[in-house]
Amino acid sequence: MPEVLVHYQMEIWQSISETFIMVGVAILAAVIIGLPVGTLLFLCRKGQLFENSIVFSSINLVVNVIRSFPFLLLVVFLIPFTRLVIGTAIGTAAATVPLSIIAIAHYSRLVEQSLLDVPRGVLEAAVSMGASVREIIFKFLFVEARSGLVLGLTTSIISFISYSTIMGVVGGGGIGDFAIRYGYQQFKTDLMMYMILIMVILVQFIQFTGTTVARLIDKR
Amino acid sequence: MINLHNVSKSFSEFRAVQSVSLSIGEKEIHGIIGASGAGKSTLLRLMNLLEIPDTGEVEVNGRLLTRLNGKELREERKSIGMIFQHFNLVANKTIYENVAVSLKLAKYPRKKRRERVLECLQFVGLASYADKYPAQLSGGQKQRVAIARALANNPQLLLCDEPTSSLDPNTTAEILGVLRDVNRTFGVTIVIVSHEMDVIKSICNRVTVLADGKLYETLTIEPKGIRIIDGDPESFVKQLTEDGELNNA
Ligand SMILES: Nc1ncnc2c1ncn2[C@@H]1O[C@H](COP(=O)(O)OP(=O)(O)O)[C@@H](O)[C@H]1O
Ligand SMILES: [Mg+2]
Repeated sequence: MPEVLVHYQMEIWQSISETFIMVGVAILAAVIIGLPVGTLLFLCRKGQLFENSIVFSSINLVVNVIRSFPFLLLVVFLIPFTRLVIGTAIGTAAATVPLSIIAIAHYSRLVEQSLLDVPRGVLEAAVSMGASVREIIFKFLFVEARSGLVLGLTTSIISFISYSTIMGVVGGGGIGDFAIRYGYQQFKTDLMMYMILIMVILVQFIQFTGTTVARLIDKR
Repeated sequence: MINLHNVSKSFSEFRAVQSVSLSIGEKEIHGIIGASGAGKSTLLRLMNLLEIPDTGEVEVNGRLLTRLNGKELREERKSIGMIFQHFNLVANKTIYENVAVSLKLAKYPRKKRRERVLECLQFVGLASYADKYPAQLSGGQKQRVAIARALANNPQLLLCDEPTSSLDPNTTAEILGVLRDVNRTFGVTIVIVSHEMDVIKSICNRVTVLADGKLYETLTIEPKGIRIIDGDPESFVKQLTEDGELNNA
């Protein structure tokens, strides 16, 4: 083990765990809120089951606005909201708020796109069999779109890791923040390179897992 | 079995079906034929309210579907089977699961499901394919699975939208044979939409001709039977010359 890593091992483990917390909360938000929002977006589109241009346009607009913010500005813009929810705008817990907001917007768009790949006929067959909306979603739509949903989540998680690296601005910590503060600002280039290496390995691992799972569950 | 009273359906200005009244009797095999765009599929989809008519009433099995609320309509649909040109199976479910899902939707007793699924697959000759996925089957086999799925809940009515239009002639004959067996064995009323005259003539006993969204005529015919085309070259020669005009002196 290189000496510099041994020397900073406490801080490194700390920053890794901060990254995991921030990204983990973002993933939960993506799945618990982003998946339903994306599904609603899909169902409200023209020609779909719930066709409703008002609901569609409103959600669509909100998702686009959130995604068009430069992320750093979104973080700053959300400070009052974060303070309201968490009680403070500083720290790892506070950092999860803007990350969750972007996670929901990001994943819901990818969900909508995956669902568009499901052949209309399959949903029509479901309706003809007397399926309720709930049954259509869970027994047909998600089953048929599952590999796209997994690939979309994989892409999203990797984006969340990237977004999490700038959370140092609100004291969120994380690997990226550590690399900048200790590696870059204190001229410890080797330390910075090790941190980048950790990120690369993490991203590779997530992409490999996501691609493999998506392939295994795709029977189309 | 089916009574349509003056049903009309428009798609933004375009009048796809215009005040059609039609009665289809129990155990009939009823064909609907017409040019492409005549409104055949729309008319069929009005029969299980996949399209909601702008005006008119749809009565199936003595119930006015057009007067039911959403939940009641879903219940009625469970006893109306439907098959499609592109089969519309769930590609990520096995053949077994594809048939089982229609039983689940209808709350068929869990313990009897397995037996019923296998019985239906047996009927269409695919019991040994239960664990395969649709992608591993040929077009004709997929349509058989779709038929098994549609039959699982013992429907009294089976709606077929161009069921053989993406199949080759021999597979078409096979599927028509299965449909005729369904009608004979279980007494299921069948409505078949097709643009192919041979398909309609082979098994239908009543036929509606549709033109530009209007009912042109309904007539009773004698089904001609299903012609199996074997691969034997002599049969091709025979068909090519069967109208008697042999010009190769
Ligand atoms: N959902 C729809 N939206 C708009 N137009 C439609 C829709 N479904 C059918 N049509 C139009 O209605 C006409 C009849 O369609 P269809 O019933 O599918 O004809 P057929 O099955 O006889 O070929 C066609 O011109 C078609 O373009
Ligand atoms: Mg059609």
